[in-house]
Amino acid sequence: MPVRVDLVKAIVAKDLRVFLRDRFYVLVTVMGLVFYVLVFWLLPDTVDESIGLGVHIPGGEQLIAQQAGAGGGFQIVPFESREALEAAVTDGSEVAAGLDFPEGFLEQAATGEETTVRVVLSGGAPEELRPALVGGVREIVAAIGGGEPPVALPTMSDVVLGPDRTGQQLSMRERMQPLLVFLVLIVEMFALASLVAAEIAQKTVTAVLATPTRVRDLLAAKATLGTGLAFVQAMAIALATGALLQAPLLLTVALLLGAILVTGFGLIAGASGRDFISIVFWSLLFAIPLTIPAVAVLFPGAAADWVRGLPTYGLVETIVGVTAYGEGWAQAWRSLGLVAVWCVVAFVMGLAVLSRRVERV
Amino acid sequence: MTADDIGEPAADPPPADPPTAERPTDAPPPGDDGVALRAVGIGYAYGDLVAARDVSFAVAKGEVLGFLGPNGAGKSTTIKMLTGQLPPREGSIEILGLPMPDKREEIQTRIGVVFEEKNLYPTLSAHENLRFFGKLFGISDVDADGLLERVGLAGRGDERVSRFSKGMQQRLMVARALVNNPEVLFLDEPTDGLDPVSARSVRQLIREEADRGAAVLLTTHDMHEADELSDRVAFINDGTILALDTPEALKLQHGRRAVKVRFAADGVVQEEVVPLDEAAGARLAELVARPDLITIHTEEATLEDVFVEFAGRRLE
Repeated sequence: MPVRVDLVKAIVAKDLRVFLRDRFYVLVTVMGLVFYVLVFWLLPDTVDESIGLGVHIPGGEQLIAQQAGAGGGFQIVPFESREALEAAVTDGSEVAAGLDFPEGFLEQAATGEETTVRVVLSGGAPEELRPALVGGVREIVAAIGGGEPPVALPTMSDVVLGPDRTGQQLSMRERMQPLLVFLVLIVEMFALASLVAAEIAQKTVTAVLATPTRVRDLLAAKATLGTGLAFVQAMAIALATGALLQAPLLLTVALLLGAILVTGFGLIAGASGRDFISIVFWSLLFAIPLTIPAVAVLFPGAAADWVRGLPTYGLVETIVGVTAYGEGWAQAWRSLGLVAVWCVVAFVMGLAVLSRRVERV
Repeated sequence: MTADDIGEPAADPPPADPPTAERPTDAPPPGDDGVALRAVGIGYAYGDLVAARDVSFAVAKGEVLGFLGPNGAGKSTTIKMLTGQLPPREGSIEILGLPMPDKREEIQTRIGVVFEEKNLYPTLSAHENLRFFGKLFGISDVDADGLLERVGLAGRGDERVSRFSKGMQQRLMVARALVNNPEVLFLDEPTDGLDPVSARSVRQLIREEADRGAAVLLTTHDMHEADELSDRVAFINDGTILALDTPEALKLQHGRRAVKVRFAADGVVQEEVVPLDEAAGARLAELVARPDLITIHTEEATLEDVFVEFAGRRLE
């Protein structure tokens, strides 16, 4: 038998009123939205990919000035003394490494006399930096001596697969966008779980089910409210962060699926929890794995295979794809399809657990 | 199973000729229009724990049936089966001529329930609670003020329930049960936690509902309340009905009547209770003749006494 729309509407209206009467929910919701939007706009929207390289080369200030504009990923900063260079590398804020040339280096290099250059690295310098610096020193020596590299360099051409973001890595702002949306969804999962658990703990559900309301009406109402609250807030975040400007329909569908997904898990958590602590426990049990794909975006490199199997991976992939790479339906449909399957799984599980719990009150 | 077996109510309760507990009041034929609720051999078990077993009784329209028993006797489980919250494992239920749970939805539009737990929405006001439940019954214009006035909460409609005392919440639960003008009322400990004045007003309300024609099933472990309100009472213990009859009939048939005599023997006040049986006359005459006699009181059995006789335990 179908659900009775009038009863579902009455329960949703009541639940919304209960939600809005709870100062904690309202405070967390409003503060969360404001805070997330602020964080988004305060984050840098560009990535500085150059590495600061300190150089101390007695008598070679002019040469340094020439090299400073050479690029190659290094931002060269001159230092007047070895001590100043070492202090700067230790501090790490201006330069990540340094080259300390000995007295008379220019003459020695020009005559081919053997000499030693000190490479100064901080303890936390990446492993790849050392060979890069060695290569840099060789280049400088070659420039001073007027020599050429011992082999002929082949001609190279670049092939970039997908949108060309070379030199334009994902900024922190772009990386954080899926995480901010997820935080909103996760907070709403807590709120829904709490509402459901309160209904069970206070046994108001018994009173409701002693009226012509059926379990399916109650479940439909909870699902509608949970999905609605999560979706509206996720959309608000997407709108406030400008994400909706790109492929609005695609992103709307993605966020709706995300809202349905967390509602399913919220229903499970709410039906399983008996008090505040157990609700927190159950919600965290779902929240942590659900958030991992959004956190994984923060770090460079491909996500592990098991992360790709998490319910929210497809959602994160879609949000990043749309907002950062301008992807469309052609690229996103597989990811969204996977999310839709997870939505069905979570929702069916949520309704089953809640239905069982409600009937046992 | 015959109508007698299931404790059918008298056509015009209370009956003129009190029946015995084993042989309940003269019963109307099954399916008679006067019967609002009929349970035949119903039972339920939570796992291995049998909560109710072979429970049979009927309640007529306009009748108050008191369901008496200690905590854990099976009262609430029986109410849950009757109101559609639990499916009976055995037996059958008919409410207002409709089978439960097959016609659960239709039945639930015509019944009202006061639950043992105070299951109101604490962050909503009294008005909002009543209107919400009204909507669940398909009633969009609930007379919330009228209901609140009936339970002594006039003028408190806009206050949140969380600010109500336990007694006020209990009265609001009674008002909620009346939202749909029910034909059958299930009241699970409706005066529990109420002060004497509030309890009296709720009892009066229950009587008014019965006078209006509603069948009332009242569970309580307050024997005085059951005696005052009920047209008939059923004793339930360990999930089975032990006796079912009018309070007067139960007390007459199973209660012990006695005379309590107080006298001052050698300056010390003493009392003696003489059971009113065949041998009482001589001893009573002897006591009454004493020059130091102070007072003589007749003692009538209470429902509590009768319950103890049946169940071998007290209600608390």
